[in-house]
Amino acid sequence: MIFSFEFRVLSCELRTRNSEPRRSTWRLFSIRSLVAVVFVLSTLHAPRSTLAVSLAPPEQFEAFDMPGDGGGSIGLSWQAAPFDGPTVRYQVYMADQAQGPFTRLAEFPADTHYKSDVDRPWWSWDRSRTHHFYQVKSTPDRRLESGRSYFFKVAVTDGMQTSEGSMQSAVPTPNLFNLAKVNNFLLMLLFSALVLFTIAQAKRHPAIFLRRIPGLDAVEEAIGRATEMGRPILYLTGSDDMSSLSTIAATVILGQVAKKTAAYDTQLQVPHRDPIVMAICQEIVKESYLEAGRPDAYRDDSNFFITNDQFSYTAAVNGIMLREKPAANFFMGFYYAEALLLAETGAGTGAIQIAGTDADLQLPFFITTCDYTLIGEELYAASAYLSREPILVGTLRGQDLGKAFLLLSMVIGTVLATIGGLVGTQAFVPLLQLFRDFK
Amino acid sequence: MAGKLLRMDRRVIFVLIALATLIPLLRPIGLPIRISPEVKQVYDYIESLPPGSVFLLSLDFDPASKPELYPMAVALLNHAFKRDLRVIGMTLWVTGTGMAEKVVSGIASEHGKRRGVDYTFLGYSPGGTNVIINMGQDLAAAFPTDHYGERTADLPVMRGVTSLRQVNYVVSLAAGTPGVESWYVYGKEKYGFELGGGVTAVIAPGLYPFLDTGQINGLIGGLRGAAEYEILVGLKGKAVAGMDAQSATHFIIIGLILLCNLFYFLTPRVGSRSVGRAQNRPGSPREAGR
Amino acid sequence: MILFLRRTFPLILTFLFGVAGALQYYIPHPVSEAALTEVSVWLRIILGFAMILGIASLCHVHYAKIRTRVAGWGYSLVVYLSMMITVVVGVWSRGQEEGTGFGWIYTYALLALQGTMFAMLGFFVASAAFRAFRARSKEAAVLLVAAILMMFGRVPLGEYLIPMAGPVAGWLLSVVNTAARRGILIGISLGGIAMSVKIIFGIERSYLGGRD
Repeated sequence: MIFSFEFRVLSCELRTRNSEPRRSTWRLFSIRSLVAVVFVLSTLHAPRSTLAVSLAPPEQFEAFDMPGDGGGSIGLSWQAAPFDGPTVRYQVYMADQAQGPFTRLAEFPADTHYKSDVDRPWWSWDRSRTHHFYQVKSTPDRRLESGRSYFFKVAVTDGMQTSEGSMQSAVPTPNLFNLAKVNNFLLMLLFSALVLFTIAQAKRHPAIFLRRIPGLDAVEEAIGRATEMGRPILYLTGSDDMSSLSTIAATVILGQVAKKTAAYDTQLQVPHRDPIVMAICQEIVKESYLEAGRPDAYRDDSNFFITNDQFSYTAAVNGIMLREKPAANFFMGFYYAEALLLAETGAGTGAIQIAGTDADLQLPFFITTCDYTLIGEELYAASAYLSREPILVGTLRGQDLGKAFLLLSMVIGTVLATIGGLVGTQAFVPLLQLFRDFK
Repeated sequence: MAGKLLRMDRRVIFVLIALATLIPLLRPIGLPIRISPEVKQVYDYIESLPPGSVFLLSLDFDPASKPELYPMAVALLNHAFKRDLRVIGMTLWVTGTGMAEKVVSGIASEHGKRRGVDYTFLGYSPGGTNVIINMGQDLAAAFPTDHYGERTADLPVMRGVTSLRQVNYVVSLAAGTPGVESWYVYGKEKYGFELGGGVTAVIAPGLYPFLDTGQINGLIGGLRGAAEYEILVGLKGKAVAGMDAQSATHFIIIGLILLCNLFYFLTPRVGSRSVGRAQNRPGSPREAGR
Repeated sequence: MILFLRRTFPLILTFLFGVAGALQYYIPHPVSEAALTEVSVWLRIILGFAMILGIASLCHVHYAKIRTRVAGWGYSLVVYLSMMITVVVGVWSRGQEEGTGFGWIYTYALLALQGTMFAMLGFFVASAAFRAFRARSKEAAVLLVAAILMMFGRVPLGEYLIPMAGPVAGWLLSVVNTAARRGILIGISLGGIAMSVKIIFGIERSYLGGRD
């Protein structure tokens, strides 16, 4: 379009300069012919956007509620046109009523904003490049209310002419399920079912091999030593609250330790950072003493609250260690920077120290200062190891199978993604998306 | 002899560390500091925000972590105010409230910013991670008033900000939980804002997996990270000053480790190589004297 | 009836809230979001009340120590005194810190004491490293070398002496450390799901106090 306009001006100038001599007229004719031939040839190879093609209104224009959201968002899509290019631009308009007035929401080059640009999985989104896509969202200045109709138009312009498409309306609606997360949901169900299955299996066939965990073999030794020395045992459940898995594991192990201290008649001290954890541990210890047949030996104040402040708690526990010199210190659960302060002070008092944590950052500190350290998942395995209960052992088996599945998926996924990257194929994308997290 | 040195009184080590910290603080050398990409990413993101964007700084630490995280807060706030961002300060740690308020209002007044108009400090609200969920739904419900008793919804600085969805950038300066991970799991994952982190050196390595996956867009780790940010904003403060001391203590510890291994290998093999924890049993004479 | 209230009812509640909590992640509807907000508000209230439980325990334990004059009972007295003083001054100052007694306690007691505790970490790291960082085995030697490289490369002096030390330490952090941590994270997450499933289905009920 632009090119043809310039050509006309050029031919005009030529004619004006050479209007009189005949020879020149012939020459002028030749030049015109040459230029015309060049023009025709050049139009054959010119980009489509530079052609004098009239702009057609966007076709297959649709406005729809965006799937898998809480409302307040509308998607617009229309077919990509042959004239799409960087010089052509699309304009998106919106109105509250069909009669308007329409306000422009966005303008962008016609070779951008495709449906394939949207990061959604293949099972919930048509990731084709044949359609343009624009998402209208609520902003502080423009709220899209759920349940109300909004009206949209898309126009295409090249700066000289503008062509407007039909009007479409849509109602933003909140959805009940985010289909993009269905892979996550299915994996969750699969793993949950696997755990329940392995527990049931373990109940039927309880003889499941558990590898030796030296730290847990030492629990009995530590309690025995404390009994011999007539000193208490200090048990910490970590710094997290009851919603933390490591705290739950720590309380389960506490139950096993408490049974042994009840049997040996050794004093147990459990200082806490969280009042809810304290209340639960009181129940657990009480139950353990009951099960061990020593309810008389149970003391309600064996579990006590100090403070939920990190370093105030650390100072108080260190004080207990230095004053009462417990014969054994158990550091189970999740720890932060206080880990080394506690374990190093305990090492200084000469206590046997057994740590168990999934706080990987604190593991080096525990490993260097404690006699035995349960690393990561060993903490979760501890309760199964100590009690040998089929439920707990079955859970471990389920976790191991889940881990094997993930390991296999990671290896296959890495190989496929690498091949896909090297070859430049999208063939593996659908499979790989099954293991991706989508919002 | 080597065995004796291996059993050195730990107070000797404490004195060495104290000297290695004190001397460089009194007589700094000013060694050059390389800027790491993860710190630069936080800086670049703030640079890319247009004036008037909403920047939420959550100071999730207590006074114990002040030496590492306070300089980060100072540098970040200076940067945000220089860029004319709307700054919202808050904390999820009750014991950090006073300190957090002081740094937010202090840096704001240095830049001539008006409370309630250019910045606010929301203060502390109990509930830890639940506060983040509340803020994601309705910010004014989580903090009906700011730290100074003004209604949050009426503040000009909060114009157009009803929840975390309208916040452009959140940086959590954290010394533990609730902290950066909580802001990701309960905040960014659900409400879609961009998130950066600033943490103590001891927990920084744990956040690198989140950095690579884009769950956080940048990370300022420990005093070193704070020093790098100070250099980026052209404001050499306490973090830069502390880096020489950190260099010295690191080298003292490296020296101690090398020495202890030297002594360990010089110690006669029979029965004495295991001077470590294996013999540190309760009641042993050595333990009693330690 | 007592058994129902102590066992069955909490298990029903656990099941309902557990399943609802898990499903909430997949439901974007505003009702689901509102429910999450409501629960988070409840949690905040429960946490507030739980503090009363904690403070009662603290007072009880230290009162018992003072009453029976056990060794170190004086420290228990310090606990009571410092708690009382902080509460009284805090109420007197109406919770404000600027220029009040409460602010003074915060700045000159809490801040200083907490700073001291955290600073001790540096000293303890050094003494623990000296005592325990020995190349007793191949694994210990790897740990030792990695620790030295990290400490060398993360400070300006190390980078000044050997410019490559910084990038090497950075590589260790962002590649080796990240890979190891991801492995641990996967294990922890699976353990988390397994434990959650057990709790939701009432298989794990030790948190209720024993099993029956």
